[in-house]
Amino acid sequence: MSESKRDPSMKDGYLWDGSGEPDPEVQKLENTLGRYRHAQPAPDFDQLAAEQLARPRWNFAGFRFSFQLAAVAAVLLIGVTTFIVFRARQTGDPGAAWEIARIEGTPRVGWHSLGVNAGTAKLKVGQTLVTDNSSRASITLEETGRIEVDPASRLRVIASGPNRKRLSLERGTIHATIWAPPGEFVVDTPSAVAVDLGCVYTLHVDGSGAGLLRTTMGWVGFKLKDHESFIPAGAVCATRPKVGPGTPYLEDASASFRDALTKFDFSNTTPQERNALLGILLADARKVDALTLWHLLSRVSDADRPTVYDRLAALAPPPKDVTREGILRLDQKMLDSWWNSLGYGDVYLWHLYERTWSER
Amino acid sequence: MERQAVTVQPVSETCADDALVSAARDGDRRAFGLLYQHYARMVHGILLCRVPPRDVDDLVQEVFLLALRQLHSLRDISRFGAWLGTITRNRANDYYRRSHSAERQMEPGAEEQAESRTNDHVVEQEAAMTLAVLRTLPETYRESLTLRLVEGMTGPEIAARMGLTHGSVRVNLHRGMQMLREKLAEKARGAGQNTGQRMREQKQVSEHE
Repeated sequence: MSESKRDPSMKDGYLWDGSGEPDPEVQKLENTLGRYRHAQPAPDFDQLAAEQLARPRWNFAGFRFSFQLAAVAAVLLIGVTTFIVFRARQTGDPGAAWEIARIEGTPRVGWHSLGVNAGTAKLKVGQTLVTDNSSRASITLEETGRIEVDPASRLRVIASGPNRKRLSLERGTIHATIWAPPGEFVVDTPSAVAVDLGCVYTLHVDGSGAGLLRTTMGWVGFKLKDHESFIPAGAVCATRPKVGPGTPYLEDASASFRDALTKFDFSNTTPQERNALLGILLADARKVDALTLWHLLSRVSDADRPTVYDRLAALAPPPKDVTREGILRLDQKMLDSWWNSLGYGDVYLWHLYERTWSER
Repeated sequence: MERQAVTVQPVSETCADDALVSAARDGDRRAFGLLYQHYARMVHGILLCRVPPRDVDDLVQEVFLLALRQLHSLRDISRFGAWLGTITRNRANDYYRRSHSAERQMEPGAEEQAESRTNDHVVEQEAAMTLAVLRTLPETYRESLTLRLVEGMTGPEIAARMGLTHGSVRVNLHRGMQMLREKLAEKARGAGQNTGQRMREQKQVSEHE
């Protein structure tokens, strides 16, 4: 390979759209890696769908229509429908049940304990899974995800309908791996709602209701009323009762940066102290801390916003459609555009969630 | 060196894609088949960034079947690409959960590195090594570069398919390429040092003998 630092404009056209003077380095990589290129023809989706929908068929040979039989069938149909409707009204729609598996100790659902030989059990809407200090369990819902529940946790199922799965972590720790479409799986905590936007994450809630969310893959939205935080992989975000989610930060941020941010988010500070804390944050921010500064744009006062803008613009220049004036007046489209340019995830997915779920 | 075919699909196709998504949601399987043709390389590339190459083709089909089942939940049809991309990433996460739940997850690229050690063919070895290095880049860069270098998509096409701005894809490609160059150069230097060390050791042994 040739020199590592080159003029960005040189031969970039070829890398961008294959136009201009070919870049031999890019061409070599294309030739080398081209062997992995997708080459599978489209499967027959008609056939695949038909296979999925295939059901055993009854043999109607010899079946002869009669009014008596039709009347009996109609009465049965009305009876069954009435029973289902009444039952659903009495119990509420239970939706799909999560499958519980014991990992260690003796997790409980109500009075039912899952011992060593208990196998699997179901966790339905309204039920709570409780682990003591020496128990762990996992719950799985096909096409939604799998959650490991650590010791000393209480996890309740709030909703389990199509496209809407909602749990409540009252205390303890869960490790969630979610493969449902983004925005369909949410976890309530006493101080914020965690919204899966395509990810693997850990959520902890302590006895006071304060929480901590750590994302391993993808990203998560954290929300309390109008207070929102986006937490991409490698980042952490704390939340406090009545305050909501704080400002997310990367785990490898400096100690002074993290300390200043915690005080900025959750301590009672005078305007002077707050100003000093903001000064530390802006001075200590690295390029990758653009994540934190982007959130600060909408959390600082109007007077402080220009300073935050300038620092963020220096670390992560805004896209062409974003102007200083627009950001200073907190234009949502421009904020979204700048967020998208940071490459952590498409903010559209967040708005999709907001439209799908009712506000907390 | 031969010029690699880079397929250019105009951005205006995304409007046609909207119609296809709409038709597919209404049960038109042919429309869904066309969406597969338009988006399969994107899904393939995203998966290739995360899972071993031998499993990618099967997972591509699984992702599209999952999308077919979930298509009714997509509200804004113009964001089909971003939605499909997220399903793909989630399926890749699930792959590791299912296949490595009892064992430790391999570091990204570890499998390709292992493969490259046992692979006799020099070209295949180089491809496996290059892919392994590519997979060590930050997620954003690695996806854009894989779609460009492996799948042969252009920058505008990547932006249109994934629902990203031209600016961000251009930046990702440029910075990712720069990082890839540095990492490959570093690897080449390391390999050179190892070869030199081995030659010195062989010389010492022969002198001793």
